[in-house]
Amino acid sequence: MNMKNSFFLIAALLFLTTTGFAQKFYTKSGKIDFDATTASSPEKIEGVNRTATCVVDTKTGAMQFAVLMKGFAFERALMEEHFNENYVESHKFPKAEFKGTITNNETVNYSKDGTYSVTVKGKLTMHGETKDVETQGKLVVQGGKVNANASFNVLLSDFKISIPGLVADKVSKTAKIIVSCSLEPLKS
Amino acid sequence: MKRKKIIRYVLLSLLVIAGAVGFYIYKEYNRAHKDTAKLKPDYTVTATDLLKEFENNEQASNKKYWDKVLSVEGMVKEIAKDDRGFYAVILGDTASMSSVRCSIDSAHSNEALTVSRGVTVTVKGICSGYNADEMLGSDIILVRSVIDKKK
Repeated sequence: MNMKNSFFLIAALLFLTTTGFAQKFYTKSGKIDFDATTASSPEKIEGVNRTATCVVDTKTGAMQFAVLMKGFAFERALMEEHFNENYVESHKFPKAEFKGTITNNETVNYSKDGTYSVTVKGKLTMHGETKDVETQGKLVVQGGKVNANASFNVLLSDFKISIPGLVADKVSKTAKIIVSCSLEPLKS
Repeated sequence: MKRKKIIRYVLLSLLVIAGAVGFYIYKEYNRAHKDTAKLKPDYTVTATDLLKEFENNEQASNKKYWDKVLSVEGMVKEIAKDDRGFYAVILGDTASMSSVRCSIDSAHSNEALTVSRGVTVTVKGICSGYNADEMLGSDIILVRSVIDKKK
């Protein structure tokens, strides 16, 4: 092999490794909504967190989320204080975590644009309690990025989050958790 | 005659009390978030020192800084904008994966545009905690942040 050819070979190899397929995708600005509105609520009981961390391992289908409870923003200051102080007690349990796997990970082609329906199964830890959670979600692969969307309900009593009797009929017993993350390839 | 007068006074004062309570509840219910720009910082630190403190002792640092107003000086690593137009200013040492991530209060979004990468700024925000992660780098997260001043 002459010099010129080997140069091209090296260049091609370098190109391949740098633009090569990333095994992990992540974000640090994932969005998670917490919605405990019921039909009898006088208004929306809804908090948004835009600082969730999420990592997906494309090879194993492992999926992880971490979110700081204090980062949930509610429109009303009073509601946010109640959420933090009385419900999720974020001073005691500052973080919520989810660790799970995409059970049908083999059906997702992370290098081909498209929308893939996935089932995610794992453990959610919130308010110091850990519970099994299973949900359907969507992965949208587009231009080398992955959008992860899912929504599921959690029974607040499963996580020992109690709602005072006075407002019991105004706050839902289950909270809807809506996840939407735009994941980028992790360069390692 | 006298009794009637007393009853009238009692009713009137009850009405005033009820009104005051009602007004208080109404005000409290509609209370807006305090503007971070108007809050006095509880602690003034540099991003590097703050990260070191959390790295060395997460529990103690959480206790000290959580829910406190922090004024953090650091170099802008990145300005991130999400698809809904919310900004985050990320402070820290470019050589390190760890950073102080400040999500900018939506009322102060325009301030995020006044800073640029590599510039040293002071950001004031409310500490919501620490995310330790060996692979992605650990982060301290400030919410409802505002740009305090540029250097």
